[in-house]
Amino acid sequence: MFISRKRVIALAASVAAVAITATSFTPAQAAPKNQARSVVQADWLEKNLDDPKVVVVEVSTEPGIYERGHIRNAVKITWHTDLVDTVNRDVVSSAKFQKFAQAAGINQDSTVVLYGDKNNWFAAWGAWIFNLYGAKDVRLLDGGRVKWEKDGRALTTAVTTKAKGNFTATRLDKSLRATLLQDIIPVAKKRVKTDLIDIRSADEFSGKIFAPAGFQELAVRAGHIPGAINVPWGSNVNADGTFKTVAELKKLYADKGVDGKQPIITYCRIGERSSLTWFVLSEILGYNVKNYDGSWTEYGNTVGVPISNPSGTIWGNS
Amino acid sequence: MLLLGLAYVLSGREGTGAQASFSLLIGTALGIIFERARFCFFCIFRDAIEDRNTTPILSVLSAIAVGSVGYAILFGQFLPDTSTEFFPPNAHIGPVSWVLALAGLVFGIGMTLSGACISGHLYRIGQGSLRAFPALLGSLIGFGLGFASWNKLYLSTLATAPKTWLPHTFGYAGSLFITLALLLILALIARRWRATSEPISNAPSKSFYASLIIKRWPPLLSGALVGVVGTVAYLRIEPLGVTRQLSTTARTVLSDRGYLPETLEGLDVMKGCIAVVSSTITNNGWLIIGIVFASLAAALAGNRFSWQSITVKNSLTALIGGVMLGWSSMIALGCTVGVLLSGTQAFALSGWVFFATVFVGTLLSIKLKLHKI
Repeated sequence: MFISRKRVIALAASVAAVAITATSFTPAQAAPKNQARSVVQADWLEKNLDDPKVVVVEVSTEPGIYERGHIRNAVKITWHTDLVDTVNRDVVSSAKFQKFAQAAGINQDSTVVLYGDKNNWFAAWGAWIFNLYGAKDVRLLDGGRVKWEKDGRALTTAVTTKAKGNFTATRLDKSLRATLLQDIIPVAKKRVKTDLIDIRSADEFSGKIFAPAGFQELAVRAGHIPGAINVPWGSNVNADGTFKTVAELKKLYADKGVDGKQPIITYCRIGERSSLTWFVLSEILGYNVKNYDGSWTEYGNTVGVPISNPSGTIWGNS
Repeated sequence: MLLLGLAYVLSGREGTGAQASFSLLIGTALGIIFERARFCFFCIFRDAIEDRNTTPILSVLSAIAVGSVGYAILFGQFLPDTSTEFFPPNAHIGPVSWVLALAGLVFGIGMTLSGACISGHLYRIGQGSLRAFPALLGSLIGFGLGFASWNKLYLSTLATAPKTWLPHTFGYAGSLFITLALLLILALIARRWRATSEPISNAPSKSFYASLIIKRWPPLLSGALVGVVGTVAYLRIEPLGVTRQLSTTARTVLSDRGYLPETLEGLDVMKGCIAVVSSTITNNGWLIIGIVFASLAAALAGNRFSWQSITVKNSLTALIGGVMLGWSSMIALGCTVGVLLSGTQAFALSGWVFFATVFVGTLLSIKLKLHKI
């Protein structure tokens, strides 16, 4: 008996864990992923606004912007109350999300099209949440709200009423979400090979500043997670906010050594801008990507984890 | 004059966007109404208190009545369900506490000392008032003092003060009913108190030109117009208010020089005329420009423009009154337009509390003859 009982149990447990991960992976992989499918163009949306299978959702941050005019038939999501748990720091619970989605008229077979202000930042967060809970066809409007307005397309103030949908939320798909203990620390300590992408600005990445201009400092350390590479989120889009082409996006990441052959984790400050990069890599390029919603505000405040701060800034040192 | 106004609107349109342009138009409309109707809260209150002439106050009541109907229509669409804890976006619903009451009293006294409220001073610039300048300068200083005292008041009181919004309890229909009933009672009291026999509506003038340009517009009509403009402003941009730009200017200047506390606690999540840090002209700045120039145009057309006398003494009272106006409208998150009108129209208790306390402040200070200094 060379193998101890303990080892056998550990082995069995890890086999089981792999099996669970593999099964929970299927929903996100089931649909083919490419730009034509996951990014909708405004012309297509205009033609399909009355299709009962299409549910349009606006996720904007500026208060009152939806109320003063939105795309016809669009329903509204308030990200800081509808998409996150307001008490625990966590994404919205499965039950609450299902309730919201059903009230929004979303069915199992609905095509959910999200758009929002600020280059779809929060719309992308919404897309990530919909995917976490097993929605099968989730798309973003190319260029978001800004492009729609610039094109001079119609908005309305009329509020739509929807019949209750039959969407059932799955359990949270852990293959799309990175956590500090299970995913990030093993990568930071180089125990696991994963491409870690920090999508914040170069100055935040290098530790020159603690928070982007106009935002409060929310982390007491500056810099980035060791081993991360910096690809600011803005490089995913053109000047008008539309996504770059698949070829351009592939090249952008390949030049940084990210080719999708190993797992990827994206993060930013609170996980919302990085959900846009998650969307690009996972939904447009079809790579295996987790978004780390704890992001720098969790990692940069955690006691006892290594950081990389090339600028050497010290918090509170004046 | 109209051409001048139009040219201004067009110049506003270039590069500044539709919102700035629309704000300028709203300001233009307000400037004309304020000037033609003498829609000045201090004058209106003083007429009622001193001369027992309560006809002008009907314009305020009419503005609230029409505006609240307009707001009810918009609210029904912006926030159909009033049973949640949510508030309609951007509406001026502020915390109700002794701080608001104090601010109202101080504002009332400041109006009496300086001769007008903030919107009053703005439109009077267009009539040639020179006292408006020390008063507005004073209000900038007052905003600075407001910022300096904000954190203390916020942490001790405002953070936990209730933001009472009638529709949460009574729904839109009930709130509208309460508001209109209250206005009716106030109107009846005003009628009783009335000592002069000035008719509610002017006798029809022979000349259309005279009634449009020369004679003061009738109170019920002008109030209703203010209510309509308020509704349109809320639909397209934000609730009416005239202090956001002034407050923003004060905040930006002072924070650039490091005179302000690092953070103004909770201010950015409050609803009202909230200062932002910005060195460009906000939408509210365009609105103010509209008020001043439209009032000038209306005054010139009606031959009412004249440089008004200014002395060291009356500019000093204007300055001190202005400081009081600035402090109180920073603390109350707006003035007689932003809190009194836009608050009551939005069914906020804060609007009514401010209305009552500003009136009491004006009453006390008129009894003390502060306006005669």
